[in-house]
Amino acid sequence: MQQEILKVTGLSAGYGPLRVLHDLDFSIHPGERVGIVGLNGHGKSTLFRAIAGLTDWQSGSVLLNGVEVGGRRSQGPGRYTHRIVRRGLALMPQGDAIFHGLTVAEHLDSGAFTSQAWRNRRERRERILEIFPPLRQLLDVPVGRLSGGERRMVSLGRGLMTDARLYLVDEPSLGLAPKISKAMIEALMRINLDQGAMVIAEQNLSLLEGRVTRLLGMHGGKLKRGADLPLGHGAAMEI
Amino acid sequence: MIDGYVLVSAVTLASIYGLLAIGISIVWSSLGMLNMAFGFTFAASGYGAWYIAQVFPNSATAVLAGGILTGAIMGAATCAVAFIPLHDKPNFTVRALIATLAISLLGSQALLAVFGPRVKALPKIFGLRAFELTEDVVITADKLGSVASSIVLLLLVLAWMKTSRRGLEIRAMMQNPEGAALVGIGVRSTAFAVMAVTGALAGLAAVLLSQTYFVSPYSGLLPLIKGLIVALAGGLGSVSGALIAACVLGFTEAATSAVLGGQYVLITQFGLIIAILLVRPRGIGGLLDETRE
Repeated sequence: MQQEILKVTGLSAGYGPLRVLHDLDFSIHPGERVGIVGLNGHGKSTLFRAIAGLTDWQSGSVLLNGVEVGGRRSQGPGRYTHRIVRRGLALMPQGDAIFHGLTVAEHLDSGAFTSQAWRNRRERRERILEIFPPLRQLLDVPVGRLSGGERRMVSLGRGLMTDARLYLVDEPSLGLAPKISKAMIEALMRINLDQGAMVIAEQNLSLLEGRVTRLLGMHGGKLKRGADLPLGHGAAMEI
Repeated sequence: MIDGYVLVSAVTLASIYGLLAIGISIVWSSLGMLNMAFGFTFAASGYGAWYIAQVFPNSATAVLAGGILTGAIMGAATCAVAFIPLHDKPNFTVRALIATLAISLLGSQALLAVFGPRVKALPKIFGLRAFELTEDVVITADKLGSVASSIVLLLLVLAWMKTSRRGLEIRAMMQNPEGAALVGIGVRSTAFAVMAVTGALAGLAAVLLSQTYFVSPYSGLLPLIKGLIVALAGGLGSVSGALIAACVLGFTEAATSAVLGGQYVLITQFGLIIAILLVRPRGIGGLLDETRE
């Protein structure tokens, strides 16, 4: 079997005295599209943030392509994030983390900061515009003037500019109209992962059902034992 | 009372304040640090330029370069001492404020110990010529040179921020530090670039102001205060706001000196800033923001 892209063992993380994640263990393999479903406030975003090193503290092992990027850390949120990102992680966070004064084009360019990506950023930008055609007319507009759906496209597009092997997408449907949410998920499904993998966190199970290769349920900061739910019916019951 | 002379001094002051304020503003918004060591960088650059002037007494370029280079080095040194060890610790803003203030005080004392209390004069790098604009308005070479060189360096810095990869990194960090980390921008290396560039701006301002004032160990204090208030009035983090504020406050200073007398300059300047901040708590830059957060 191929090496896991992400292997998490005994991951706990939180903010200040608050412990959000409790001893998580799971792996993601190449080519997978995994959905993590769970209610608001049960740790989906914190899980992504812990993998990116953005929580206040964390402990436990996070292997990204076999390299340890986790470990015990009690301060310095975000200090190592850029290194983890350069190792092949793309996190599209909830709330988009956009640069409101930069134009859409600059935004997409900023996604290509890692390694070789900067040199062929124009071709990469073209590729993103094919995935999100509405952005083509908006290239010179500051992102702060865009609508919520357009911003989401920019945020996702920025994440896709790199050669990431692991894409973590946090609530791509958040705050969007149902039709746009669906289009957004479909765009994510069309992306060629190559040897990479994608993990999508969603509250709305029906958006992911039938589209992802595997669903994980998250509740109270834990992925329950046997959390690898089968696709389709029955999945909702175990969450 | 408000004649050509006042306008000329206003523009000169505005260009120098602009250099100082933009340095403070960029550092604040990209690194989240109010750099109190700016005053020390300023004073040290004056001495750097003075030292170069002893070696190459006849080269204006060398003196300017000496000041700018010393400023950049001091900026990077401040970054290494005050930013790198502290930036990911709790209460960074307050800690950095104290650390940079300590650098400013220690540095001034060090300058005093090394160079002694006697003030130094820099050579008149722009010469002593004067140009008559109209019958009673004369613009001296040092003023013209100050305005020209600050505008050139400011435009260079702004163009660099607008077009280069490093500049894009800095602007990204100014607007969303977490987003910047997520696209792979390292805070530390960017911080060195920011501090070196803003230090260079302070260095240029030091050489330019030293055309009028002497270089002394504490000569950085007033420029620091002026830079801070201009940056505040402009809305911390807004480059265009800082430029407008620099013009407004430069004009206030020149007009106050001409009408009321030099001793009232700080009073009118602070009064004006309080008025601006009462009406626009986010400073002038708040007016220019055309995008949503």
